[in-house]
Amino acid sequence: MITTDTEINRSRNRALVDFVVLPFLFLTVALLGGLRIGAESRTFIFIAPPLVTLLFAVLLMLLLVRGGLLRFRQWIGSELPPLTNVAHIWTFITIFFASAQAFNSVLPERGLLHWLFSFCFLWTLWNNQFSSFDARRLLRSLAILFGTAFVLKHMLLASLYSPEGGWLQRVAGTLLQGVAVDTPTFAPATGYIAFLTLALYVAGLMMLAFAVNGESKQLAVREVMLDDLRDSG
Amino acid sequence: MRTQLKIIQIAGLVFTLAYAAFIVWIYATEPRTFKEVTTSAEVAAGTYEINQEQFNSALNLFRHEQFRAARDEWQRADPAQRDARTQFYVAYSFYREGWGRVYFDQELFKQGVEAVNRAIALSPATSLTIDDPDLQMHTAAELKAELEQGLERSWSDVNPLKVLRTRK
Repeated sequence: MITTDTEINRSRNRALVDFVVLPFLFLTVALLGGLRIGAESRTFIFIAPPLVTLLFAVLLMLLLVRGGLLRFRQWIGSELPPLTNVAHIWTFITIFFASAQAFNSVLPERGLLHWLFSFCFLWTLWNNQFSSFDARRLLRSLAILFGTAFVLKHMLLASLYSPEGGWLQRVAGTLLQGVAVDTPTFAPATGYIAFLTLALYVAGLMMLAFAVNGESKQLAVREVMLDDLRDSG
Repeated sequence: MRTQLKIIQIAGLVFTLAYAAFIVWIYATEPRTFKEVTTSAEVAAGTYEINQEQFNSALNLFRHEQFRAARDEWQRADPAQRDARTQFYVAYSFYREGWGRVYFDQELFKQGVEAVNRAIALSPATSLTIDDPDLQMHTAAELKAELEQGLERSWSDVNPLKVLRTRK
């Protein structure tokens, strides 16, 4: 009886996480990923995901499938009820847009740095397509990728182009003289929003990883039970 | 148990789809402040109303030829620019401020055309008519024609008799 109750609670919580919490979390990332705060006006600026971030999101989705974080075969199939299939497809869509917006939040908006960052993302994602990954390694790699981009854009570049500016700004100004860097400046709150966005995104992926682990364990237990039944039969 | 799971799935889908629609709407309308978010939400819900007190105060300023101040007040009265009548008056204020005996201020007239176009777009199928004895043009079509005429360049611009024309 206790086992049954535990199982019921587990399935209920699992369903809540899969069909409510995760899509909500990823949609929040999609909302915040393009949000900036104007440096002077202190007003909201919404930046839709550039086309290049959609390409990154496609590559990242492929990585998530390869790394075992997204399990198409278990989540979508003709043997599953249509509603479950629809709910899972919807979760995939939210992950796709959250990924695009996560890139959007750490990508400089325009100019030379936009293309430099884009090239680095593309290079990393493309190379990773040919590496062997499991869910844990992939998560670590993504956390480092987004963390580095965050530090570069919202800490280093933000201080470089801040109106106050220090010695770093003067050095960069001399080094990059004549190069069209053209990076817009935003209020410091933008950095905090980007941090929250990335934290939510990585947290969402971690929850996904736990879900996958849970499913694997359940499958393993089910297989052992089936084996036991076969042996006893 | 299966029913409960189904309920969670349906509730999750409905809730998150509504949230996604909200996000798409936010990116489409691009509000700049929380106040604009609420105003846009009121417009979307059909409960938006202009601030009548500020509208009247703007009208008073307009009648005293303080056009810029009047426009500021109208902007506050109709922040979403969704009221045809207010936009008509905004366009009229651009017309009156930009009108000159010798030349018309092109920049103000251009803004006037934009405002009157907004008024026309917002008015119902019938043409927009403002019943105000202080005005000499009562329809948006008349005002638009006058503003567009002011933006056109022609040989009649060098006619010295033009100084005798009157402001409407």
